[in-house]
Amino acid sequence: MSANIISTLLNHHAQAIKLVLTRMHNNAASTFMICLVIAVAMCVPGVFYMGVDHLSKLTNHMQDETEISLFLKLDADKDTLSEIEGILAKNAAIKQYALVTKEQAWQQFKEKSATNEVNNQVNQLAKNPLPDAFFIQAKSAEPEALELLKNELQAIPGIEQALLNTEWAKRLSTLLTLGKKIILFVAALLALALLVIIGNTVRMQILTQKDEIVVSKLIGATSSFIRMPFLYAGILYGLLGGILAIVLLAAIVLGFNQSVMQLSNLYNSDFSLPLFNPSLSISIICAAIFIGWLGSYLAVTRAIAAIKIT
Amino acid sequence: MIKFDQVTKRYPGSNEVLKNISFNIEAGELVFVTGHSGAGKSTLLKLIAAIERPTSGTVLVANQNISKLKPSAIPFMRRRFGLVFQDHKLLYDRNCFDNVILPLHINGISGSEAAKRVRAALDKVGLLHKEKAMPITLSGGEQQRLAIARAVVSRPSILIADEPTGNLDASYAAEIMEIFHAFHQVGVTVIIATHEALGKTVIRNRILHIDHGELKSSELLSTESLKS
Ligand SMILES: Nc1ncnc2c1ncn2[C@@H]1O[C@H](COP(=O)(O)OP(=O)(O)OP(=O)(O)O)[C@@H](O)[C@H]1O
Ligand SMILES: [Mg+2]
Repeated sequence: MSANIISTLLNHHAQAIKLVLTRMHNNAASTFMICLVIAVAMCVPGVFYMGVDHLSKLTNHMQDETEISLFLKLDADKDTLSEIEGILAKNAAIKQYALVTKEQAWQQFKEKSATNEVNNQVNQLAKNPLPDAFFIQAKSAEPEALELLKNELQAIPGIEQALLNTEWAKRLSTLLTLGKKIILFVAALLALALLVIIGNTVRMQILTQKDEIVVSKLIGATSSFIRMPFLYAGILYGLLGGILAIVLLAAIVLGFNQSVMQLSNLYNSDFSLPLFNPSLSISIICAAIFIGWLGSYLAVTRAIAAIKIT
Repeated sequence: MIKFDQVTKRYPGSNEVLKNISFNIEAGELVFVTGHSGAGKSTLLKLIAAIERPTSGTVLVANQNISKLKPSAIPFMRRRFGLVFQDHKLLYDRNCFDNVILPLHINGISGSEAAKRVRAALDKVGLLHKEKAMPITLSGGEQQRLAIARAVVSRPSILIADEPTGNLDASYAAEIMEIFHAFHQVGVTVIIATHEALGKTVIRNRILHIDHGELKSSELLSTESLKS
């Protein structure tokens, strides 16, 4: 008995999928259009999310590393250096510090710029223009404490400048958080629009299948049986639209990376977005499928209730 | 099998279409529902098939009260019946084969088993050679027979036909009545509504005669007494 029910159910699902695929095949153009609409709507917040996410990862990285940059006077000698290092080691507010000597910095800079045109100009500089520097992580993340520490460090003789990194990093990070919120809001609006569009598409399909629905109801079809092909239609629209969105996203990122390439080469940064972001891709597909399902579920439930059978 | 107890039906905004009707149909019976146009025959059949609910009184099918069925149970009740609708309700966007297979899909039967049953049903009504034809290309009588094939394909225990010989001339009508007799012969309960004088094929069967919504007679009648 229960095996019978299960095989009936499986048959219903198989039939519904077959039916939907046939209908989609017969209406390939309109199927493609609705999938494209879904893809574009999913893709727009996707692109911005990717950009903001990447930026915030970069800034987080920087924030972790350094809170205060301490640049020494250009003419500081070895003694001054070890003297300052001694002061830093004794300061209770400092968690960790790293020394980058002017030689190291110079070396790094030359290596980094070896690959591009800046190289020529760098080589023409006979003298090392860079100072010795300490990069400091404080124990406290409080802005006031950091400000205090900065002033303290600034006052050490032999220091050219103490730079607090938090100011702009914090500003950027709040900006990015705001950006994420805006993206979320836009995504929610687009999702709402998609619900309406998918719902409308499914409603149109229901109207063209009205006779079949009436007859099916009359001869004993359950509501879930009648709903099933339309739900699968919504799910398949979502799936195809989601996949298309990921392809679109990759194409946009590719274009973006290429145009950014020249610029970033110049600055010796490797700012490029990944073509394929697995977690974002999965989120997009899941969201698209869910929206497709929900849109058709709402439409089909209302439309079927409105169809009178006598 | 089917029991009406003081059933009254009133459509929203209409007068009483059926008035205080009581009768009993045993399993395996062949019953005719007769009466003038507008007498309430279709309404009576719809009450049996759980398509309409009585305004008052009880309709019992296989000891289940139609009025008390949960909405989720109604589809399963309807699957007990093979229904031939007065207006056929064929689907004109698909061929004969696909029209007949619909009830099987609803019952979760597909593949070769379904195809076998569809062909058997089409064969019974003499339309096997038309399985690929679209319903619109069939004659009136052929469409009636297609509707019958769809009604019997899921092997229901109760067959309900509303004017199955509607606009057919006498010889076609007799042909279709033969089909119903064949089902009656193998134990199916058959209920047929008709406003016409019954042909020679009916000799002694139950007749429910309705006049302006009132059941005038549920006796065994011969063809002769009905005509008078
Ligand atoms: N859905 C409905 N809403 C309102 N009134 C209805 C409805 N269906 C039928 N009626 C009325 O109920 C009465 C009986 O209708 P019914 O269809 O049962 O008659 P019938 O005996 O089948 O007639 P016919 O032989 O012409 O098919 C008619 O007066 C009709 O107008
Ligand atoms: Mg009628």
